[in-house]
Amino acid sequence: MRPGASLRLALAGTRTDAARVALTALSAGLATLAGLAALTVLAIPEVPGDPWAQAEQYGNALLREPGLRGGTAFALALLTIPVLALAGQCARLGAPARDRRLAALRLAGATPAQVTRIAVLETGLASLLGTVTGLLVYLGGRGLLHRPDERGQLALPTDVLPATGTIAALVLGLPLAAALVTVLMLRRVTTTPFGVVRRVRTRGPRPWPGLLIVLGLAAFSAYQPVGLWYARRDSEPPEWLPPTLLIVGGLTATIGVVTGTGWLSYAAGRVLHRWARRPAALLAARRLTADPWAGSRTFAALLAAVLIGAGAAGMRAYFEAELRLTRRTGSGIPDDPFYLRTMDLVDLTVAVAVLIAAGGLLVAVVEGVTARRRAYAALVATGVPRATLGRAIAWQSLAPAVPAVAVALTVGLLLARGLFRTPSNGGHLQTICDAGDVCSEPGGWDRYARTEWVERVTEPPVVPLEQLALLGGGSLAAVLVTVAAGVLFLRAGTTVEELRTT
Amino acid sequence: MAEVSTPHVLLGLLASGGTRHGYELKRAHDERLPRARPLAFGQVYATLGRLQRDGLVATAGQEREAGPDRTTYTLTDAGRATLDRWLTEVEPPMPYVASTLFAKVTVALLVADVDRARAWLIAQRRAHTQRLRELTAAKAAPSATLDDVVALDFAIAHLDADLRWLHTTLDRVADWHREVHT
Amino acid sequence: MTQLQARGVVKAYGPTPALRGITLDVDAGEIIAVTGPSGCGKSTLLHCLAGILRPDAGEVTWHGHRIDTWSEAARSRLRRTEFGVLFQFGQLVAELTAAENVALPLLLAGTGRREARTAALTWLERFGVAELADVRPGEMSGGQQQRCATARALVTEPRVLFADEPTGALDTLTGEQVLTQLVRLAREQGTSVVLVTHEPRIAAYADREVVLRDGLVDQSGLGLDSPLLGERR
Repeated sequence: MRPGASLRLALAGTRTDAARVALTALSAGLATLAGLAALTVLAIPEVPGDPWAQAEQYGNALLREPGLRGGTAFALALLTIPVLALAGQCARLGAPARDRRLAALRLAGATPAQVTRIAVLETGLASLLGTVTGLLVYLGGRGLLHRPDERGQLALPTDVLPATGTIAALVLGLPLAAALVTVLMLRRVTTTPFGVVRRVRTRGPRPWPGLLIVLGLAAFSAYQPVGLWYARRDSEPPEWLPPTLLIVGGLTATIGVVTGTGWLSYAAGRVLHRWARRPAALLAARRLTADPWAGSRTFAALLAAVLIGAGAAGMRAYFEAELRLTRRTGSGIPDDPFYLRTMDLVDLTVAVAVLIAAGGLLVAVVEGVTARRRAYAALVATGVPRATLGRAIAWQSLAPAVPAVAVALTVGLLLARGLFRTPSNGGHLQTICDAGDVCSEPGGWDRYARTEWVERVTEPPVVPLEQLALLGGGSLAAVLVTVAAGVLFLRAGTTVEELRTT
Repeated sequence: MAEVSTPHVLLGLLASGGTRHGYELKRAHDERLPRARPLAFGQVYATLGRLQRDGLVATAGQEREAGPDRTTYTLTDAGRATLDRWLTEVEPPMPYVASTLFAKVTVALLVADVDRARAWLIAQRRAHTQRLRELTAAKAAPSATLDDVVALDFAIAHLDADLRWLHTTLDRVADWHREVHT
Repeated sequence: MTQLQARGVVKAYGPTPALRGITLDVDAGEIIAVTGPSGCGKSTLLHCLAGILRPDAGEVTWHGHRIDTWSEAARSRLRRTEFGVLFQFGQLVAELTAAENVALPLLLAGTGRREARTAALTWLERFGVAELADVRPGEMSGGQQQRCATARALVTEPRVLFADEPTGALDTLTGEQVLTQLVRLAREQGTSVVLVTHEPRIAAYADREVVLRDGLVDQSGLGLDSPLLGERR
């Protein structure tokens, strides 16, 4: 088949297909921006001669200190996760119709290679468009944001460019990776053009992730008792034990929250079904139990962002407690606005991640509505009010979201609490010399020094309720926005034209 | 197919074709009703004889040519009246119609004027659909046995086939007309 | 007594005219079939009569009310309570069980869950599919699905049932069974039925027939509107 024909077939499609292409390009662009940002931070050159010297041209400690740079780059790279979740959700937009179209081509005589080529062309070109646009935005942004302040320092690393080879690898590699994933996902369609759609009643997802959460939190809470157990025996726990407890516990709990979305949706559906009195809730309940994994990829990304945000809020509370303690006792961590400023940046990142994840959720909701518009149109024709259907969509999104966000907030906060112990000072013997200059003279120290017990002072960090409320409320507001979008599409999609079969 | 309405077909052929020999009539019959059993000469002459006896056709004359006698026949006024009456009559769809319907539609399309054919077609269709309704209701009656239902199915299937063929034929004629006249 | 009337109903989809002026009456308790070749506007007429669509011109009157002027919410309520609608396929909610599907109109009207379920089970019993009460549509055959859909259309005891090719996706025998049950129950309740079909055998279940052709009522029933009968050589 001629490349021109392949291209035409790749571009043929409905509005949904156009939306999928646009969103693929958008996700690719965002991923490129995040990747380029991470690469730029990594490309900040070390000061020659001293690997630990700070890069003085930047005003931001995150960029100055070599030790923190790695963390910043890592955090920026982490932003690609919600973007990829968004991309994955977008790739499924209109996928059944697209797969049917490709299957029809197969039945008409196209070979698997030709059909794959068509799909790969669509995804690859869209991603390439996205990455190139992302690169252009990055370069433009570099120029626009390059504004040294009065001290000649830059807020952002706009004077550094990653190696050309690395940039090329990112801009070209992302579309290649997308093409590869498309090939893998299409394998089923290309080998057998007949799609078997048989609704078999499957058992709901099992609650194993809940176990993971409990185990993770248990490992975390074991941190203190384990330390005490060893202390009572006047020994130290093995070096590896405390950090392992924390890291493994933390990871397990996070994985539990993220993979628990399926079970949570299913359970929410069952609870709703028992207590539902209005048909809207009933419809939502059945939909949740029938398809608990719908949109769960991006829902998981949202929960992960919420969890990290709660952890960050916990961290911030710890820093604030430390500062208060320092002010009370006169010693402790330096009063550097750096810590709180860093927390601000972390909060900003979390907010961006929540927005991106919410975007993916929006795509999932809209796709769910448009894919079932025929069924909805038939319901409207038999007299079900659109308002009922809209309420069903709202129940369907909120019933699992509210408990899930609550759990994510709690787990995140508990993890932070476990990692950062209550700031305390004192509780130890201290030798001080009051005699002033005499202390430095030989023999003066022994004569005038005295040992006293410094009282233990603790400053428990407050539970950052406002921040948690903001985070939780913001996420749920984002979910509500997706519901609103779904209702809008419902109105547009349930016209009578959908009912016409002839 | 049975030749139930052969007399009427011959009347119709004479009405549209004017005076004809018996041999020409046989040829025209076979041509116009191609799937029917070809008319035997003996049958043609026998039917013509009966029609002549009933005063519906008359011999127009004899031509002495190189060959056997060829009597030509022509339609009388009585014959025309009989044909008209037959073309206006609705065939009772009892329990199904099939072959006579075929003959009548063919002749109607040949011979009749548009209004009369239209009136008959509408009336015949109405009779068909009425009968279909009766038979369908009979099937749903609580007293219907399996044999009844089977027989009713047979009748319904044939009536349905009649109606479909009628619709299709008219559509074809309309298409043909449009092609010819544009 | 005439319940439902259409007077000069006109409806076009964009540039394509579907209905070009239809006038018909539906009396209480009668079953009428709307037939005609495909594309003649049958389904559109059904949608206009049932209040699913608003005609571009003309009137649709229900017990003296001009329902073509009503708001979507009012017409939706009409469709829930006084009308029943039945399609060829795809009207059952795939995630709900049969009993929940049949109970849906009652739930929408505010009936309690237990009451609605009892009524739904009664209706499923009348159609002989009571054992499917907790089964989902995807696990049923086409005929069973249509029986459940018919039960749902009749559960609110509507005055008019609109059926658009209800047996189109079924084989002959199953379709016959579904339709026979539908007609029997409709007659028992005095429900009028507007049945859209292109098959004469299905139309035979009705008391009378209205034939459409090219968006107009065809009095001849055969499309005899042009001088198509003439000399044929």
